[in-house]
Amino acid sequence: MPRKKKSDDNHRHGRRGSTRPQRHKDVLHGRGGEAGDAFRCVGCRLDVPLAAPGTAHRNHCPNCLASLHVDRRVPGDRDSACRGRMTALSMSVREDGEWMIIHSCLSCGELSANRIAGDDNALALVRIAIRPLADSSVPVRALLAL
Amino acid sequence: MSIDKPNLHHRLSPTGPVADPSPALRTSTFTCVRCGLTVATLGPDGSHRNHCPSCLHSQHIHDHVEGGPSDCRSRMTPISIAVLRNGDWMVVHRCTRCDELTSSPVCADDNQLILMRMAVRPLAQPPFPLEVFGDM
Repeated sequence: MPRKKKSDDNHRHGRRGSTRPQRHKDVLHGRGGEAGDAFRCVGCRLDVPLAAPGTAHRNHCPNCLASLHVDRRVPGDRDSACRGRMTALSMSVREDGEWMIIHSCLSCGELSANRIAGDDNALALVRIAIRPLADSSVPVRALLAL
Repeated sequence: MSIDKPNLHHRLSPTGPVADPSPALRTSTFTCVRCGLTVATLGPDGSHRNHCPSCLHSQHIHDHVEGGPSDCRSRMTPISIAVLRNGDWMVVHRCTRCDELTSSPVCADDNQLILMRMAVRPLAQPPFPLEVFGDM
């Protein structure tokens, strides 16, 4: 049964600046299910500290944007047995202008969304964001169809 | 989708045209949960449609975490455009009730204005100035 997230993030209320602080989540990042203060990226082996500017729920590497498929339905539940590598698939924007990375699992195809952090690689983020516009024939065709 | 790898990329692989659609499938329709448009189940190229071509909204029918039908049945809004390696566009949908994400291939008669609006949306509201990327 699909559940509504209790911490229904702050994208429903208010504009940028007037949002309440993100809720703290006790997510086990250490190996073997213990609490840790850092995780190692599966893509580039960078040691990533959990404290990130701009977000309380970091789940991807700030350098290569790779993530790990550990959550099942609710972010932070650590209930998935897949543990495949998740790569950034596309960029989405909330109503208040926050960018969200859509990750897709390379092993099972599951999708997940996470807010970008303040220290994420800006070049990698922009490369994901302009991917739909890289092939210029599609926008031209769309404008001609209007 | 092959039998031996039931889960592999089932959300990212575009569904091809149905080989020989039955007359019932060829004439079947569904009603969009958002705009009420009556939509043919098969697209112009003969592949299964799962979102409204006018407003691009979908319905949460399939449970992707456990497989099988979902009992959520809420509206799913389009939130972003993903691009496959072969250049095809996919629409990423998010369920308004349970926040599950799915992706489905773009159909030929989908609303180009909404598609382009979603594609340029990140660049319209960048979290950092984009001028520096002009020098790269």
